[in-house]
Formats: sequence, structure tokens, C-alpha cells
Amino acid sequence: MPRASAPTRRATSSQLAPLAARRPTPAPLLPQPLLERLLAVAMARGGDFAEVYVERTQTTSVSLEESRIKSAQTGLVQGVGVRVISGAKVGYAYSDDWDEPALLRAASTAAMIAQGTGAERAFPVSRVAVPSHFRIPASLADVEVAQKAALLTRADEAARAFDSRVTQVNGAYVDNTRRIAVANTEGRYTEDTLEMCRLFVQVVAQGKRNERRMGQFGSGGRVPFTHWLTFPPEDVAREAARQAVATLGAVDCAAGPQTVVLAPGWSGILLHEAVGHGLEADFIRKGTSLFAGKVGEKVASDLVTVIDDGTVAGNRGTLNIDDEGNAAERKVLIENGVLKGYLYDGLNAKLMGQRSTGSGRRESFRHLPMPRMTNTFLAPGNHHPEDILKEVKRGLYCATFGGGQVDISNGNFVFEVSEAYQIEDGKLGRPVKNAILIGVGPEALKNVSRVGCDPMPDPGMGTCGKNGQNVPVGVGLPTVRIDNVTVGGTQVG
Amino acid sequence: MDYQKLAKRIVQRAEKKGARQAEAFLEVGRQSNVRVRDGQIEDLTQSTSKGVGLRVVVKDRLGFAFTSDFEPAGLERLVDQAVKLAEAAAPSKLNGLPGQKDLGRYADTGDLFDPAVANLPGDWKVKAALEAEKAGREVDPRIATFNAVGAGDFVSEVYVASSEGMSGGYSGTYVYLYAMPVASEAGQLQKGYWLDYKRFLADLEAPESIGREASRRAVRMLGAKRVKTQQVPVLFDPLVAASFISGIADAADGNSVYQKASVLAAHQGKRLAGAHVTLVDDGLLPRGLSTAPFDGEGVPTRRTPILEKGVLRNFLYDAYTARKAKARPTGNATRGYSSLPGIGTSNLYLEPGTKSPEELIRETGRGFYVTSLLGHGADPVSGELSAGANGLWIEDGELTHAVQEVTVAGNLLTMLQDLDGVASDLQFRGGSTGAPTVRFRQLTLSGE
Repeated sequence: MPRASAPTRRATSSQLAPLAARRPTPAPLLPQPLLERLLAVAMARGGDFAEVYVERTQTTSVSLEESRIKSAQTGLVQGVGVRVISGAKVGYAYSDDWDEPALLRAASTAAMIAQGTGAERAFPVSRVAVPSHFRIPASLADVEVAQKAALLTRADEAARAFDSRVTQVNGAYVDNTRRIAVANTEGRYTEDTLEMCRLFVQVVAQGKRNERRMGQFGSGGRVPFTHWLTFPPEDVAREAARQAVATLGAVDCAAGPQTVVLAPGWSGILLHEAVGHGLEADFIRKGTSLFAGKVGEKVASDLVTVIDDGTVAGNRGTLNIDDEGNAAERKVLIENGVLKGYLYDGLNAKLMGQRSTGSGRRESFRHLPMPRMTNTFLAPGNHHPEDILKEVKRGLYCATFGGGQVDISNGNFVFEVSEAYQIEDGKLGRPVKNAILIGVGPEALKNVSRVGCDPMPDPGMGTCGKNGQNVPVGVGLPTVRIDNVTVGGTQVG
Repeated sequence: MDYQKLAKRIVQRAEKKGARQAEAFLEVGRQSNVRVRDGQIEDLTQSTSKGVGLRVVVKDRLGFAFTSDFEPAGLERLVDQAVKLAEAAAPSKLNGLPGQKDLGRYADTGDLFDPAVANLPGDWKVKAALEAEKAGREVDPRIATFNAVGAGDFVSEVYVASSEGMSGGYSGTYVYLYAMPVASEAGQLQKGYWLDYKRFLADLEAPESIGREASRRAVRMLGAKRVKTQQVPVLFDPLVAASFISGIADAADGNSVYQKASVLAAHQGKRLAGAHVTLVDDGLLPRGLSTAPFDGEGVPTRRTPILEKGVLRNFLYDAYTARKAKARPTGNATRGYSSLPGIGTSNLYLEPGTKSPEELIRETGRGFYVTSLLGHGADPVSGELSAGANGLWIEDGELTHAVQEVTVAGNLLTMLQDLDGVASDLQFRGGSTGAPTVRFRQLTLSGE
């Protein structure tokens, strides 16, 4: 069965190393007295809540094209954001200057959202320990660039060796080491270091009559550089090349409703789009999501249990604390088809009389936090993947996926399928091109008729965009069958 | 601080530390935006930002580093890192900064900076957003809520200096206003979206007009339903048409063409569409959002027709790719300080026709008028496009009921051939890509 043989697997929490093996705690990003001073200035006009967010992110990236390392680059972005909440109003100011006058200016600018004139008072904070859901013994920032470049060279060779029809290979390696500190007027002060790396390979294969197909694949997560020993770049490259070559000669996709079977893993994007976004508390509070007011209602088939888990060891969407300093959590959003709850950041939780679920995330200090997903997956079911396929007389097998998008109000979501096969009498037939799935979240979930018991490898390459902010996320789905899905294609009748 | 001088100093420092060539790209900005909700401020953000990217060539190897830390130690580290990173890259004779003959003279861009935007009083944005929200709410009682209504402005300065004689800078202003209402009826929610984004305050659409149009677009989607799978004439409204032409521009990227990873690669000089189709990238468009004297590496911007009267004329290049492909740079290097230049569009637009969009709809008789697409657009390698579509059904030359949960699919090449109508309503709606309403003779619509 052709499938995205993602070279990564889910790590379990038992693989977490003992705390003793952790790296020594680095010096604070900003001195605690300065954090407290900024909070005091931020509250000077009588806000209800203030928070200082400090970030320093070091990024390294290397790119390859035409079998050569095209460039290596590195950069540092650092800054401080001050947020003041007064009632339901938020004032925010940020600065990438670290000198005290600039920071105080930001604090007093944010303070202006409150209209009062109250006297300045002290807001002491104390450092709170944070959990650890990933272990990076040696910082990715300290690994020699030549070693990172070597991953790409190896990937390039493997992709080209895979098949003579491979004509182009582009690759990129990116890592970042992001240090954050969050202090607020509730006295909570947390610091964390988040590291992440990703290798991404894009392959073009050329067939007969100038037909060209692209394949792409990636690997990574919040993992140490030794990740590439167990998940070698060759595996990533061969998977990208396999996709490009496998889709050569693909036929037009039939348009209209079909039974679809989704391969496990990266297909989790479907869940991310079809339900995930619609369960984010900002949309719920404003009443713009079709899932608003539906807690306790049946929104999916009995087979559907959806979990957002920020604590999965080493995953791309994993957090120790969110960008408001709250510990990451495992949340059951839908259980056996019944809507259980939403994803909350601090502000929306407060306005809605709930508690934060550790879902307040932001792209950087230049952005306000909002409720976001971390790693979102469908709990495994009881069906064997082989049986799921065997039972389908005619349909579409979706092996690998591009991206997706959702309109959270009418619930319409799309899910781009980059590698798909016709299913005939329970067997895979010819590859089809240009397929896309469209549906309305809850209806599609009610049509989930089989959920596999197979593992759901997250390749670790997902990035989610919302209101112009991008954050890394994880996804997961076992093999799943959905009935009566509208498949976009070019072939009619 | 004199940023032009600072950029030059960074270049000199890099040369001293062993760079054969060096280029500093420096950006400074200040921005402010507000969102309102239920007649109140929802949030207000203000900030300043800055950063510099340094590109060096050391022994034919390319290195790049960036930082937002302008302290002397931070800049020293920037130079050291760029030079050190060059050592990890592969040598190539093609590496090099744009030289004297690429740099050349700058054409006149007209004004890029509006003092009225730069000096916009803080409460103007709050007032404008509140007016947009109020006007939007008054359109129809079925407007239930808003995702967001907001306004913002920013002022940015760009400075570039290089060892090859480049030294220049410009500053620009930007102001924007948007509304995202949600209409509700019989358990169905439908969002609307309308915005305007300009360099000059006088060019910006009135707040009431933004609010009303956004709400009109939300309300008319109520009752949306699927239609049957079929092949029909399809119209794209200007927003959707803009995303379609972006897809063509992606495929006209000189590097993808050089790598034969573009559906357009083999078609230069060929007729791909009717004579009414002219697609232009114009870095000098008067008052355009992306208008600038030079691109991200100092090469003068210009007007480059991609499709001229239906014929594929030009691809878009930065200096490196032009050298590699033995083509001329087109001034299409785009970047921020934190990245190396890449190829991108400046002001991209499809030249308008003479018919009004209403006329185009009327003569269509029966078809699908698309007002938003879901998905990431066309695959530039194969040219295939398959996307979710929302819009309105055309029957007897009139817009009738709303349509959702369907897809449209085609291929860029066949879609260009089938592009049989271009209306007169060219607009740059919320970005530097502009298009009028267009019609395709036939696309596959997938639904029931």
C-alpha cells in the first residue's frame, strides 16, 4: 500500500530523560527587578492585568538547490512586548530595543489603554518552575553549520539516486532556539527555551511529454540534532522523490461525492481544519464559529475523539509553557462524537468565566497571544487499515497531503491531496491528479465511518497560520474512512 | 541615527573582515493598529521595529546574517557571523552582488510618503474602525457579530548600501482599514470581508463604505448551498481574480523557470491567452503599495509585462537568478531584513477591459460567480488548480442564490486559454496585486 512512510514516529513520555540530565539554567533574559518595574509602569493607569513578554530567538538556515549549498544564514531577533488589559480592552506595545528607556516607553504606551490615574504600586513576581516535554542536551544553535549543510547534501544525493526521472531537488534546513520569559501581575514569572529543527525536501520528477510532478516531505520537531541519526535525511528525500515519481502519469480526478480513505499521519491536517480552528475560544466568544454554544452536543460520529495535546514528547507543536506562561495541557475536545470543550488563552478564558488551557500562543513578541492548537490528533480506533481499504468498492485513497484551509463561520474546509489513487474493489488503482476534498466540519465528522488502529506518524513539518501569525503545530490521524465527501476534480460524469 | 551611514559602516566593516563583497539591507519602522468591538476599543498595538541583514561574498561563497540588535557588539557579531557562514556554503562563480551595470539609474516613482498618514492622530484609527463597524451593523439585522474590525498604519524606511556602489534609501507610508462581519440566519453563519490598503490617506475608501460592503458580502452568502457537479462558465470577482494572477506570477518566477519547475517554462514567446489578456508587474506604478525606486538588492524597478496581449513575454528575476539563467534582472528581488533576496512580484495587475462586471454577468446567462476561494492556489509545477469556492449562482444573467461547499478545478494553461472576459473594474484590494472581474469559458465545478 503506497503511503507516506513518514520517517518520524511519535515519541512517548516514557522516553523523557531524567531531570538531572537537563542543561543548566541560563541567566534570565531580563533582570527580575526590571520585569517588576515594567509591570508597575504598565499598571500605572489602573489596568486590571499586565504582562511582560521577553523573547530572544536565534535562527539558522541552510538551503540547497541544483546540488549545491546555495546559502547559509543565521539571525537574531529579540524584543519585549508589554500587554495591559483593562476590562475587555487590550493595550499592547513592543520594542526591539532592550535599553531601559525604550522598555519603559513601551510599558507606558501599553498602559494608556486604561483610563485611570491611579498611583504606581509594586507588582512582585516569583519564578515558577516549568515542566519539560522535550530534551535537547546540546543546543541546535551550537551545532556547526557544516553539519547542517551535510544533511542537505545527503538528501540531494538520495533523491537523485532514487529514480532517473528526478530532475530537481531543493532542500532547506532550519532550526531555531527561542528563549522566552513571561511575567505578569498575578505574580507568575516563567522562563523557557524552545528548540526546533526541520528539514524539508522538494523534488520535481519529469515523465513523458514534459509532464512534471512535485513531491515534498519533511522531518523534525523539538528534537536534538541526533534526531538525524535515527531519521536520516535520505529517508526524507526518498519519500519526497517517491511522491513525485508515483504521481507521474496520474489521470484526471473525478469530481463529485465519493468515499475516501485517508492514509495515517500528516492527514491530521483535515482534523486541524475541519474542527480544530472552530474550537478556538476567540471565535467561540465572538460567536463567529459554527461550534459556538455546542458543548455537550453530538458534533461527530461515535468513532471520533479529538485531542489537542501540547505535552507530546518532542513533537513540533509541543510546549512546556504557552506564550502566557501557562503549562501546556492535554485536552479532550471531542469525545466519542460529543463536543467537550474549547481551547482557551488567558483573556478569552477570563471573559468567558473559564480557565486557560495553556493554548495562548503567539508568533513572536510582535504579536498578541491568541488561542491556538498545539498537537491535534484523532484517537485511534479498532479497525485494521487493510480492512478499511478492502471494504471500499469504489472511492479515493488519499496518500499524501498538501495543506488545508477553513472558513470557521460556515465551516467549509478544504484539504489538498497531493497523492491520491482510485480505489476499485478494495484495491488501489491508478494515481489521480489535482484532487482536493471539501466539506463542512461537523458533517464531514459525522460521516467518519472507520477509524484505524494504526500509528499516526507526524512528520513534524506543520505550520499553522491564523490572523497573520504562524506557529508550529503537530497533527495526527490514523487511517480513516469518510463517506460522501465532495472531491474536487476536473472529470465530470 | 543616520541609518544610511550605519548601513555603509556595516559594509565597510565586513570588507575589513574579509568579505570581497558586502551589502547591508536595513529597515526601520513604526506601526500602530487598533481593533474595535461593540462600539469599544478591543485592542490597540503600537510599536517600533528595526533590523539589518548583511549579505557577504567571501571567495565566491555566500553568507548571510541578520539582527535587530544595533548595539556595537551586536553589529560586530553580525559581521562575524555572515563571514563565518560563507565558509559553510559552496563556492560558485555565480555568487555576487548586483554590479554597476545592474544597479543603474532609478526612474521616478512619484510620492511614496504621505505626511497625512505619518501624522495621523491616534484616535483617527479608532474613529474610522468604529464608523466601519456601525455602518456594517446597520446594513442588515442579520449581521450578528464581527470577527474583527480594525485600522492601522505604518511608516517604514529602507536603506541599502553595498561594496559595489549601491547607496540608497526611501521611506513610505501605509494605511489600512478592514471589516469582517458575520451574518446569521437559520443556524447558518456566513462571514464577509472587505478592506482597503493604501499609501495615501486620500486614496483610502471611506470607513462607512468598507463596513457596508463587508456586511453586504456576508448577508448575500446566507442560505448558501451546494450545486450539482458540472462544467459551467465561471467568473472570479476582483479579489479572487487577484489570487489567480498571483498563481501565474508564481509560475513566472525566473528560478522556477530555470529549474524547469514551472508550467510556463517551455512557453516563452508563445500565445497563451487571448489578446485581451495583459498581465504586468510594475514596480513604478504611481501610488502603488509596492512602488519603490529599487528592489531588495538595489536594482532599479521597472514595468515588466509577463503576458502581453496574450503572449508570454517575460519572467521575473533577481540579480543572481538572472546571471544563472543568462537573463536580465527585472528588479524583482523582494525581501525583508531577515532574509536573502528572493524573486517576488511588485505591483502585479491584469489590465482591465471595457465591459462592466454586470455586463459580463448578464451575457454569461448561467454560471458561477466566485467570491472567495479556499486553499493554496495553483501548483506552479504542474499548473493544476483545485480549490474550494464560495459565491453566487448566475441564472438568466442575474446573480441568484449563494453557493458553498463546492470546488473549482482547472489548469493554469487551459484557464488562460479559456479566459474569455475581462471587466473594467480593476482594483488593488488589500494588497499590491490587482485584478478586475474575469470570466472563464468553462471550469469544472464539483458539488453534489
